[in-house]
Amino acid sequence: MVRFRSELVILISFLLTLTVIINAFLHKKQFYPSIVYLTKSNSSMAVIYLQAFVLTLLVGKLMNKIFFGQLRAIELEHLFERSWYAITETCLAFTVFRDDFSPRFVTMFTLLLFLKCFHWLAEDRVEYMERSPNITLLFHSRIVGLMALLMLLDLHFVNLAYAHTMAKGASVQLVFGFEYAILFVNILSTMTKYLLHTIDLQNENPWENKGIFILYSDLILGFIRVLLYLTFMSLMFKIHTFPLFAIRPMYLSLRSFKKSLNDVILSRRAIRNLNIMYPDVTPEQLSQYPDTICIICREEMTAQNGDNSQQIKKLPCDHIFHKSCLRSWFQRQQTCPTCRTSILRPPAPQQQANQPQQPPQQQQQPETEPATPLNNRIPTNPNFFINNNRNNIGSIPSDFFANMPGFAAPPLPPFAFMPPPLPPLNLNGLSDQDLNQMEGNERHNVEARIHCLRNISTLLNASMLQMQQYMNICAASSHLENLTQTKTSIENDLKFINIPEVTNKPAKESDETVTSSTNVKQVEEEDESDAIRRRRLQLFEAKSSSQN
Amino acid sequence: MAGSALRRLMAEFKQLTQNPPEGIVAGPISEDNFFEWESLITGPEGTPFEDGVFVANLSFPNDYPLSPPSMKFVSEIFHPNIYPDGRVCISILHPPGDDPTGYESSSERWSPVQSIEKILISVVSMLAEPNDESPANVDAAKMYREDRSKFNDIARKSVRKSLGL
Repeated sequence: MVRFRSELVILISFLLTLTVIINAFLHKKQFYPSIVYLTKSNSSMAVIYLQAFVLTLLVGKLMNKIFFGQLRAIELEHLFERSWYAITETCLAFTVFRDDFSPRFVTMFTLLLFLKCFHWLAEDRVEYMERSPNITLLFHSRIVGLMALLMLLDLHFVNLAYAHTMAKGASVQLVFGFEYAILFVNILSTMTKYLLHTIDLQNENPWENKGIFILYSDLILGFIRVLLYLTFMSLMFKIHTFPLFAIRPMYLSLRSFKKSLNDVILSRRAIRNLNIMYPDVTPEQLSQYPDTICIICREEMTAQNGDNSQQIKKLPCDHIFHKSCLRSWFQRQQTCPTCRTSILRPPAPQQQANQPQQPPQQQQQPETEPATPLNNRIPTNPNFFINNNRNNIGSIPSDFFANMPGFAAPPLPPFAFMPPPLPPLNLNGLSDQDLNQMEGNERHNVEARIHCLRNISTLLNASMLQMQQYMNICAASSHLENLTQTKTSIENDLKFINIPEVTNKPAKESDETVTSSTNVKQVEEEDESDAIRRRRLQLFEAKSSSQN
Repeated sequence: MAGSALRRLMAEFKQLTQNPPEGIVAGPISEDNFFEWESLITGPEGTPFEDGVFVANLSFPNDYPLSPPSMKFVSEIFHPNIYPDGRVCISILHPPGDDPTGYESSSERWSPVQSIEKILISVVSMLAEPNDESPANVDAAKMYREDRSKFNDIARKSVRKSLGL
């Protein structure tokens, strides 16, 4: 029905044009006057405009047949959606350039819109390459032909606009020049994608660097696009008026540039994390896993040493994936796909301590933790180590000093560093490569090593200091013992003459605890304590005489 | 070699045809495009949707399985968690980044661990037990809560309609 009606419209427009032209010739009889007559008559011009429109559509259909064949539903949908925006923007542009409004101008805009449509379609088609399992030779030749044609046309129009602007100064041609330049950038990006997809299709193995290439080409072309729009905006603002119609595409290109910049940053971070923080899985280790299907791509993981395309990485949560699959996931989410443990937070120190008790497959990989460079871990959880240090070193002496009257605990040097992480217990389990990795010869490894040595020397100094203090205390304690004994005897004496404050004092010796507990008992045991007191006095006198 | 999304979709299709889950059929609509699927879901037993065969389309993004597909019922279905236009609103189809309902924990959201089979199984269980806490179709949720018999009537009607009766 629709088809029939469109054919009818085409037929009617052809007939109308024919009648208009024949009519003009019948009236004027000669070529030149009839042309003049045609262009002067509004009604015949209207018919001719309609005819031009119909012809444009027909040419579009022909190009579509040549380069695309059947359009897919989603392509049509995109086409209509984008055309509406483009038409709105064109109308806005008309309001800006109402002084230059002429049939020629309208023709130029129609042509621009026409070419834009094909750019969009080419973009969609290239995207479709990723979705379809079978890409035919016809597809390739069509898309290459289309892209080459569009490229040439864009270049031609840019050139034309440039020549026009140079010859006659800034005019509407400036707008067209910029529009075609941007279209040219678009077709360049489509072409890069096409080339990348084609290379990928030729390869037997998945090409893991494709994603990176796409990211970077997006970034560069996005940057060029943004630059073009900014220049266009400033130029237009200077010589004409504010180009309202260019705001939406400019905003879109800015946004996509920001997104691709963000993508590149995230992807770089993900790659860095992958390379630094997580160990590769070797074939022997892989054989210990019951399930060797990478859950991201649902394909079997086969570890081959030295083969980059199929590298397997293991996360701290003991889940394994293809490196390339993990990388693309980490661009979106910094979590383990299986258990959603955040990968940006390194495992807590307690987990490290537990590691030897984990299942046997774990023990095969003692390099898991130490493979992490030291300076990577230092900033993550420094408090744990500092607190631990203070408690371990500080606890013993502080109790010790508390029992010693007259001795204040000397201030301990603050340990604002962590002790060096212990190397794995079983070095036999490590290959030479792993050991090399642990040792390393890059700047940060060397820095970490020097840092460790400094820490050790500080720790040694601290223990020297403590040993010295301990020796001092030991020397003092023999003298101190005498003093305490004197003190208790005096207390006993005081108690004997019944001074209440002293009797209520907590006793140091076991026999005195009894005396102070009840008064009744005190009376009963007075004789006994008296005897002890006397013995003590004798002892004290003997000692003091020997000291003197 | 084709793109990773395409290979994964092919792998899942193979898996689904070899061990199909009960009451679920799914596959690409056309051999040329593995990114648009059609699925047939039978209404779970013991629910008003019992015996119904509902058609839903799944459409996959280019970066599947990193992003979730979207699912839309073609058959008319009146359900608290299905928008009136047929779009399905369940947490497994939401990427962890954005939260349209504001209460789902990220653990039940999309991740590459999920699969088409798991999505369809979740949809079946959603048919059996609607979640009226975060309704996509407010009318359906209200009726489900307040007038269950009427809700069941409408559900049975949709079953009959889905079978072409």
